[in-house]
Amino acid sequence: MMHKEILLVEDNPDDVELTRIAFTQAKIANKLVVARDGAEALDYLFARGAFADRDPAHLPSIVLLDLNLPKVDGREVLQAIRGNELTRSLPVVVLTTSVEPFDVEASYALGVNSYIQKPVDFEHFVWAVQQVGLYWLVLNHPRDGDD
Amino acid sequence: MSEDATSPTQPQQDRSRRAILSAGIGMAIVDMQGRWVEVNPAFERMFGHHAADLIGRASAEFVHPEDIDAVRAAFERVLKGETPALDAQHRYLHRTGAIVWAQANVAMMHDDAGLPNYLIVHLRDISSEREAGQALQALNQTLQQRLAEGAAALQAMSQQQEAFAYGVSHDLRAPLRAIDSFAALLDSKARGLLDDAGRDYLARIRAAAARMGELIDALLDLSRAGRSELKFEPVDLSLLAGWAGAELQDAEPGRAAEIDVSPGLVASGDERQLKLMLTQLLDNAWKFSRTRDRVRIEVRGERDGDRLHVRIRDHGAGFDMRYADKLFEPFQRLHGADEGGGNGIGLAIAHRIVERHGGRIHAESEPGQGSTFHLDLPAATPADPEFHPDEPAE
Repeated sequence: MMHKEILLVEDNPDDVELTRIAFTQAKIANKLVVARDGAEALDYLFARGAFADRDPAHLPSIVLLDLNLPKVDGREVLQAIRGNELTRSLPVVVLTTSVEPFDVEASYALGVNSYIQKPVDFEHFVWAVQQVGLYWLVLNHPRDGDD
Repeated sequence: MSEDATSPTQPQQDRSRRAILSAGIGMAIVDMQGRWVEVNPAFERMFGHHAADLIGRASAEFVHPEDIDAVRAAFERVLKGETPALDAQHRYLHRTGAIVWAQANVAMMHDDAGLPNYLIVHLRDISSEREAGQALQALNQTLQQRLAEGAAALQAMSQQQEAFAYGVSHDLRAPLRAIDSFAALLDSKARGLLDDAGRDYLARIRAAAARMGELIDALLDLSRAGRSELKFEPVDLSLLAGWAGAELQDAEPGRAAEIDVSPGLVASGDERQLKLMLTQLLDNAWKFSRTRDRVRIEVRGERDGDRLHVRIRDHGAGFDMRYADKLFEPFQRLHGADEGGGNGIGLAIAHRIVERHGGRIHAESEPGQGSTFHLDLPAATPADPEFHPDEPAE
């Protein structure tokens, strides 16, 4: 389980770099796969397009999803993940800058597992990413067969 | 029915006949069969006919075809005695074919024996009144359309504002996180390479980023305070004030503070927004008490009919009443940062929330003597299911 990937769906290169640093500081060794937009994230998950040679049964341990993304936005990605038998129970954590009540409501309505606002302050940001890693990669016990 | 009762000869003997003939509005006598018996000159002018052409003809001939059923039914009701008099607007026809709108008043007259004898008809030409009414209606429609357009424009503007606030939330925060985070990383990686001045610069960058983050949060709160939908319910302000005070104490655990809140101050309003309002007011009181050994804040109030008066009193720096009008304007500060001045948005948020609740807020103060903020809000009514009369307001 420790070797399963973390899929980070994020278009902002600064946030990608900061998330990478935060995971390193938290000693989370899972490989970080980065998708720059929603379409790329779905291609990766469903082993399509540029990822056609991937085994679709091999899923990441968690998806960290930004909401505001180019092409296919985070809500649509979430909808597609929940709508597919293969990825239906994949843990998805929204990790976004927005705390608009509308976004929070919509994300939970679409079946997100957690909603986390990315703090502006670096220490808080590292702490939040560490908590996500600790909970979903260490404490949480996935369903049998998901591994 | 006797011959006398239907005879048109009797009214001719009436003295009132002369009065009818000289009246300024159209008047006519109609017999029980609905025929014109007598008409006055004003009536002749209204229809463009001479009396001689009218007498003996059926009154229905002069009614607009589309109104004939309505007029017949109305006459029928008077004839049957179902209504002693009639007051109705219908269309009639001028000799030229032009439509004459007239207000008809019809009354049944009786003979000495009390039997129905004849009808007196008053017809007042209301064509010009109706034209004016139609013009007014058209004007009203235009006005309503303009209003609808205005409301739509306002709605569009509010949506634009919402999109703007959203953009601010998302797009300004992300670069801010990068600024703060990479400054923090630089500080930890290159600390040994920097002198005191260099480390001070990094600390300033991070402090400025933190202030800007707070400012963005406050702007979003202000924007939300103006546009979020309010859900009115009984709200225990005493509970919320105690909660807001506890949050302030948590943020500064080492600070000696006494926050004394009277119980049972129940307003009618949106809980989330009223909490935000109290947080801003208590935060303001807390900030301006920084020169005091201990923060002392009292929240008092009483119910006055359907209103709730609340006073939030602090014993802090106070302010000069000459600048009281600036107090609730966004970005207007009465104190510098070293005196506890904040971003200048907190009281603007409180003001906007109170206004949207149909309430009022004002402050009184004296430099060095602390400030009192007075709130006037709708009180929860005893009919509200969550109203607790066993907790009387002070």
